[in-house]
Amino acid sequence: MALTTVDHSALKVNQTGIVATVLVAFIGSLFFRPILVLIPLLAVVLLLGTFAPQLALFKQMYFKVLKPRGIVKPRPVQDRPEPHNFAQGLGGVFLAISSVLLLPVPVLGLALALLVAVLAFINLAFSYCVGCQIYYQLGKAGLIHA
Amino acid sequence: MNTQLWALAVAGFVVLVAAGLEAVRAARARRLAAGAVAAPASEPYILYFTGESCTICRTHQEPALAKLEGVRVDKVDAIAERELAERFHVYTLPTTVVMGPDGRALHVNYGYAPATKLDRQLAEARNGSTLEHAATA
Repeated sequence: MALTTVDHSALKVNQTGIVATVLVAFIGSLFFRPILVLIPLLAVVLLLGTFAPQLALFKQMYFKVLKPRGIVKPRPVQDRPEPHNFAQGLGGVFLAISSVLLLPVPVLGLALALLVAVLAFINLAFSYCVGCQIYYQLGKAGLIHA
Repeated sequence: MNTQLWALAVAGFVVLVAAGLEAVRAARARRLAAGAVAAPASEPYILYFTGESCTICRTHQEPALAKLEGVRVDKVDAIAERELAERFHVYTLPTTVVMGPDGRALHVNYGYAPATKLDRQLAEARNGSTLEHAATA
């Protein structure tokens, strides 16, 4: 599969959005439990953004607001978007499971959401994308064309 | 408050267990790959395992490899050259292997390896070969 140009600033804004939303939901829930609704909303945002990039809220915020105003500078890199989309989708799936668990087992639901935030933070801070590594492993196993 | 604390504890525990398992897996892979053989060369060189899906390879590892002056770097597509990747137990990308002149793996780095680390490993490889040559002379 051919390389294309991927703006890594859009990915960073996306990861920042994930970390910030989960943290707001987690800390906010200490004072106001219903704010946990942010977690299913984030799951929807990530899953929608995976299948329809024009609906990726954080990326669109970058392309429509942050980039044109010069708040975040673009960082185009020769790359493949598929592993990043896969990682985002995986985050969305885990957040969806977390959302389902939030009512019957809130500890597990919150813990799963925190793990997604931790992985997004690792990607943001150290450029280590766990979802992309899983994508590589699936490619190695011949399950996807990586 | 209790729910949040327990959730934090569970997430922290999972992160610690995952980090521990990763460390064990890397150590095991490193042990199995040590001494694996590829083509010999006149100087130590680097086998660099990468793939199209590896972003950190392009953003971090390749600039680090470019800093190493006069070092041969053999780029290997880990998906296309599966047999070679299996021989060095490549389970993550990037993986860099510092090869001795005799074609034996001397250092295996799973994940991003900065230029300073590779430089040090190459220096060790050169000194090792110098010592070997001195011993046989």
